[in-house]
Amino acid sequence: MFERFTKDARSVVKGAFAYVEGAGGGQVVEPEHLLLALLDREGSRGSLALAALGLGERRDSVRQALGAARRRAGLSQAETDALAGLGIDVEEIVARVEEVHGAGAMAGDRKDKGWWSGRASFGRGAKDVLERSLRVALAQRDRHIGDEHILLALTLRPGVPAEVLADHGVTHASLVRVLYGGGEAKAG
Amino acid sequence: MTEATDLAERAGDRDPRVGLRAVAALRRLLEQLEAVQVRNARNQGWSWQEIAGELGVSRQAVHKKYGRH
Repeated sequence: MFERFTKDARSVVKGAFAYVEGAGGGQVVEPEHLLLALLDREGSRGSLALAALGLGERRDSVRQALGAARRRAGLSQAETDALAGLGIDVEEIVARVEEVHGAGAMAGDRKDKGWWSGRASFGRGAKDVLERSLRVALAQRDRHIGDEHILLALTLRPGVPAEVLADHGVTHASLVRVLYGGGEAKAG
Repeated sequence: MTEATDLAERAGDRDPRVGLRAVAALRRLLEQLEAVQVRNARNQGWSWQEIAGELGVSRQAVHKKYGRH
């Protein structure tokens, strides 16, 4: 499947690994890292689509929202609300843990030396995003898988990236509109 | 946001999806809490055996999950 990836799509995958292996990341590449890497792209189809939806200047806002979710154990707002329905205040738990163990304690970063040695691996969620991006490309009858397909795949998968993107006006529907015009085609 | 509001509104009803999602979220929260506590215990010199005892799991299980190699 990787031979069909465009240069931009490959850069996104590489960039996601760089986020994980860089300063104090966890050891697994998650969908969030794919989105972070996507936000770094310039001039690609994916980044042009984001710019067309007004995200050009608001990339930092997306990064901050991803950081906030990461800080609360990677839980999305929807999940945080679901737990609130059970009487569990996630923000309160995070605040108390951080009080004792330091800021970002619940983010899952392994900052202590030697906690993890070895290369980052691609997590199940990130694999799922790439598989979906292949299906999205097929559904649109595109020959190659570009970073715009990874972006579309991220909006199709419930979770933090889709939620954060939607909060910034980037949904599957709005993306299809700017990428494909009318956009009748539906992706699996 | 709409999804979040939607979920919050339905939290009280019997939709299994809401309950299952809450359980999945709780599990992730728990995993993260466990990692924080295990790391703290290790930093304070606790043995895997001691940590496993408190968690109520086998020493092998906790070492396999958090051990360095």
